[in-house]
Amino acid sequence: MLQVTDLDVFHGDAQALWGASVTVGNGEVVAIVGSNGAGKSTLVNAIMGILRPRRGRIVLDDQDVTAIPGHRMCRAGVAIVPEGRRLFPAMSVEDNLDLGAFNRLARARYDESLQWVHTLFPRLADRRSQLAGSLSGGEQQMLAIGRGLMARPRLLLMDEPSLGLAPVVVDEVFDVIETVRDEGVSVLLVEQNAQMALDVSSRAYLLAEGRVVMEGTAKELAKSREVRDAVLGL
Amino acid sequence: MIELQAAVSGALNGSLFALMALGLSLAWGFLKVINLAHFAMILTAGYLTFELATSTGLSPIATIVATVPLMFVVGALIQLGYERFGVSELNSLLISYGLLIITVQVVTNIWTADFQRLPTEINPYASESVAVGSLRFPMPTLLAAGFAVILVVTSALVLERTYAGRALQAFGQDREIASAFGIDHRLLGVLLAGAAGASAAIAGMLFPIGGTLTPDLPFEWIGQVFAIVILGGIGNVTGTLYAGLLVGAISGLVAVIWTPSTSPFVVFSLVVLALVFRPKGLFPQKGG
Repeated sequence: MLQVTDLDVFHGDAQALWGASVTVGNGEVVAIVGSNGAGKSTLVNAIMGILRPRRGRIVLDDQDVTAIPGHRMCRAGVAIVPEGRRLFPAMSVEDNLDLGAFNRLARARYDESLQWVHTLFPRLADRRSQLAGSLSGGEQQMLAIGRGLMARPRLLLMDEPSLGLAPVVVDEVFDVIETVRDEGVSVLLVEQNAQMALDVSSRAYLLAEGRVVMEGTAKELAKSREVRDAVLGL
Repeated sequence: MIELQAAVSGALNGSLFALMALGLSLAWGFLKVINLAHFAMILTAGYLTFELATSTGLSPIATIVATVPLMFVVGALIQLGYERFGVSELNSLLISYGLLIITVQVVTNIWTADFQRLPTEINPYASESVAVGSLRFPMPTLLAAGFAVILVVTSALVLERTYAGRALQAFGQDREIASAFGIDHRLLGVLLAGAAGASAAIAGMLFPIGGTLTPDLPFEWIGQVFAIVILGGIGNVTGTLYAGLLVGAISGLVAVIWTPSTSPFVVFSLVVLALVFRPKGLFPQKGG
């Protein structure tokens, strides 16, 4: 459903991605692994339309979305769970979820989506009127995922969802990724925790210094010397 | 008793400054634009009110039918310009300072640097006042306070209760992520800047009602208005009103207890202290 071809992305004058090509199929979890600064978040932000690629193409279900404005991407079926969660901290849990469903297509399914998110994360229902900034780290991550799902994406971009979380919460987050996939949402998962990311994904890419240096099934990557050296630290 | 009169009159005067600060604070807080052109719009609206009222014989309040839509468009166009050229927060301050200087010059060329005053038959408010017990309040300051309260309460309700208002808050907290969820920042920004322009038109209408117009008025306003924006908390609309009342009351009190020339000293000492100890304003918002 997603085809990224030959993407060059710059931060100012500094090139962060060099000819990156990545594909995600329907209902698939694809992992992007690599060390810190390898360009993983840059890739996600370019797909979301937050960063503008200088070269290359991004195609979503045969529609070229490379040049459409950032605020249109979510209507095309993409949502983001950003690195560091980036909730709207001074707003309630409910308002954060509400804004997740800002685009017109998601708005029409608001009640159904809210029920879905509350089933996935019952704690968000308990805390609906609490301010997002006052939640625990784990709860904030649940809310960030919930907000992303409220947009009713067909492709969910998840940027370091396990970062800074207690191990038990990390397990919960990865369980949710599998649930979401089972409900037909494709997931592009960027993770420094390569071991866990490769466990839930079917295919994976290894990024190093802004380039895709390896791609294959998650099993192949988990076994490969490059991935072991680069990120697993074995 | 004279202190009470001074404090309450000062607070009412301060509400007019709060009304001027409102649009500036909203644009600064939500659009990250420090728009000194806001003062240019207030000044222009003041002179247009004067011109329309004297040439048509309409009540100066009725002229907002023309000035409010006009300033909405002007405010929106200026914001479109900032957007188009990707102007940063600091650069917006420099550019809009230029716009302000140009406006002051143009206004001087059209209406001269002399004082302009509405004739009393068109502007009966200037000589009216309302007595409450032993206190007396001039009609123009009561009108200013009334408009300030209405606009501040309306803005607060729109921000809190409407979907567009919440989208704007989200945009103010994290523009990239707000945009990723489909919030069209250009459209919202232009609407907000237009609304700020409309509020400038109303503030501008109140000046010829209350007194005389001169082209260099903006330079008298800037200091006090910035003090109110900062004390109220940037982007905090109700804080702006409280800060306006507070600054006005303090100025009034200081003026009668010491001398009028000491009030800026006291007000700006308060600003410096606030910046050191309460950098988000004296009236913090939830979660902020």
